[in-house]
Amino acid sequence: MNEHTSPSDEKLDELTAALPREIAPPPEVWSAIRAELAERSSNARRWDRWRLAAAGLLIAASSSLLTVVALRTRDHARAVAVAPRSSPAAAATAEPRLPARLASMEQGYLRSTEALRRTLDERRDSLAPSTVATVERSLRIADSAIAEARAALERDPSNAVLAALFTSNYERKIDVLRRATELAPRT
Amino acid sequence: MASALSLVRPAHTPHPSGLAPRELAGEDALVDRARRGDVDAFERLYHLHAGRVYALCLRLAGEPLEARELVQDTFVHAWEALPRFRGDASLTTWLHRIAVNALLERRRRDKRRSARVALVEDEDDGESAPMAGGFVAPIDVATAIDLERAIAALPPGVRRAFVLHEVEGYTHEEVAGMTGLATGTLRAQLHRARQLLIRALSL
Repeated sequence: MNEHTSPSDEKLDELTAALPREIAPPPEVWSAIRAELAERSSNARRWDRWRLAAAGLLIAASSSLLTVVALRTRDHARAVAVAPRSSPAAAATAEPRLPARLASMEQGYLRSTEALRRTLDERRDSLAPSTVATVERSLRIADSAIAEARAALERDPSNAVLAALFTSNYERKIDVLRRATELAPRT
Repeated sequence: MASALSLVRPAHTPHPSGLAPRELAGEDALVDRARRGDVDAFERLYHLHAGRVYALCLRLAGEPLEARELVQDTFVHAWEALPRFRGDASLTTWLHRIAVNALLERRRRDKRRSARVALVEDEDDGESAPMAGGFVAPIDVATAIDLERAIAALPPGVRRAFVLHEVEGYTHEEVAGMTGLATGTLRAQLHRARQLLIRALSL
């Protein structure tokens, strides 16, 4: 039921109903949209490269933090400046001295990173060389930070802060790998 | 008398997009492809919906230049938001909501800019009408073109209510949801719009 009953209202309703529902926009509108999408896509890729680099820096910063924590929480003889000795994968298999919970988590992280690494290797040809360089640098920093955290944890297995740094370094490495694979389209 | 909604939406086009079921199925596939970054699929979606969106933007903005910019804003935003489009509403309704939001955001920006330079604002809703500063220009011949002109000359808030409810056929509740207006305020604006249009068109 309609609330408008006067002849004027009826006439207005008729005119309104006769208005065209569609009006074609000028052809240049789509060109402008397409150009803006392209520009945004390019900016997004640049931004993702920056985020990859930032993730690497974050891992490096957490590695430094790890050293500080180690220095403060244990006597220097046990915890000072534990240098990275090997890749996390090699360390995980050769020296299973982490607490069982962390060792089990590390196995999960290793499976994830290996799967992502395989995907990235398959698609790396579609990435710009500068992006590949950024990714590789970030991954090297991540591996170094993980190895450092792992070594510190082996010396001080009950240190909760070290455990948190250890897992967060793995998560950041996975984040770097995931972002990199998203940047690289399927070939 | 038939309601505005039934006048605007003919019985043979039950879906708000105006697309037939087969076209809708094709549209779903295009949405899926566009979500995955397929710009060609998005271009086809654009061509399916641009006419409806431009008509809405033209009537909401009251002038073609801003309407073109609104269409552009709408589809660029839609491209970015498409991964979050869940299909609860039709794509047309979703695009219309984006267009209305884009317009409201522009109006808020204009208002802030106007406040900075201390311009006099429209007494109706703080927005300036593009053609007649809140007054409807007298129009003698009641044709569709005259109605378009009269709609364009309505104060912006009143025009928005009229276009969304009377022209596009959205319910009071839907328009209230899109614009953030209370339904009471919306009804008052619709009443005012009708009065102004009837007077302007000498109906």
